[in-house]
Amino acid sequence: MRTLVFIPAWNEADSVAAVIADVRERLPGADVLVVDDGSTDETAVRAAEAGATVASLPFNQGLGAALQTGYLYALREGYDFCAHLDADGQHPPAEVARLLEEVRADRADLVIGSRYRAPVADGESGDEVGGDDYKPTISRRIGTSVFRFFLTLATRQRFTDTTSGMRAANRRVMELFSENYSPDFAEIESLQLAVRQGLRVEEVPVRMLERVGGSSFLTPVRSAFFIFKGMIVLLVGQFRPRKVGTER
Amino acid sequence: MSAALLIAAQDPKVHLTSQTRILAAVIALAFMLMILELIRRDRLQERFSVVWFVAGLGMLAGAIFPGLLGFVADAMGVRDTNVALFSIILLLLLGLALNFSVIMSRQAAQITRLAQEQALEQAREQAKSVENGGKPERERL
Repeated sequence: MRTLVFIPAWNEADSVAAVIADVRERLPGADVLVVDDGSTDETAVRAAEAGATVASLPFNQGLGAALQTGYLYALREGYDFCAHLDADGQHPPAEVARLLEEVRADRADLVIGSRYRAPVADGESGDEVGGDDYKPTISRRIGTSVFRFFLTLATRQRFTDTTSGMRAANRRVMELFSENYSPDFAEIESLQLAVRQGLRVEEVPVRMLERVGGSSFLTPVRSAFFIFKGMIVLLVGQFRPRKVGTER
Repeated sequence: MSAALLIAAQDPKVHLTSQTRILAAVIALAFMLMILELIRRDRLQERFSVVWFVAGLGMLAGAIFPGLLGFVADAMGVRDTNVALFSIILLLLLGLALNFSVIMSRQAAQITRLAQEQALEQAREQAKSVENGGKPERERL
């Protein structure tokens, strides 16, 4: 059973090496692929030095295209399972290992790491967040609840963390996502798509870390636009044809 | 309605002086020449030029047979020929703009896939060279 852990990275030269080292330590059996989404800094070099395989997109294509590149690689190279996490150090690889356990045990096809589900028991404190400790900004909180509501309405399944970038998947999901993946609304539409295709999607509570550097890209105006766009994407998604079976 | 009547522009609904008709015809011809020139210089592909030629011919037809417009307006049930003209042009442009968005979407998807294939090829080569004990590829393409 081969496992691929891939990390979409766009100008994350400062954090990518540490994330790779952490993944290699916590998930020793997995191959690590960094999908460099047209970075203009040293991301690709740092990733290769840290021992990861690097797939460099020639220009920035957006998170959806980067994630799809990872799924495509996993599918083509014959991996049985794959998982992805963010390159900015918010996602502890130990938690990714727990997501992978779920797909390995065949309890789900796609597993989402949720920071909003009930917190996991842990003795550590500090800047770790999860469950009730997580204090997002107001615009993020509004966006989160709007998406949560509409995605739950669309899929008739309860989702709490719709935009989580920490996921684990098996080959059925790779086949689906390598062909159908929205380039600019990756997280939400992919969940809707997977549920509509009859795949088992499950959320697992995870701890996430506070962002080390940089700030969230969300300003109030952008959030409003983001939410509006997301609702259109979800609405349109409801009318997409269901594909019977998956192509080989 | 005979062709002679169309050319004579006796339809009271269309008021075009011969001056404006000549100007319109010249613009239409210049437009079509410009399209030809663009194709000749490889700035425009033939398959995208068809619709512009049709537009040029339509302009020319409107200039030569002003009665045509009144006829179209009648067929649409519109009293004012100007309204008929503007609605037709507006709808055509709307359709064209949508057509371009569709073409753009397809090309964006193709470009993305092309970029992904190139990135995958590079990653595969790197993985292979590491397997063979070689040094990891560090140069970006």
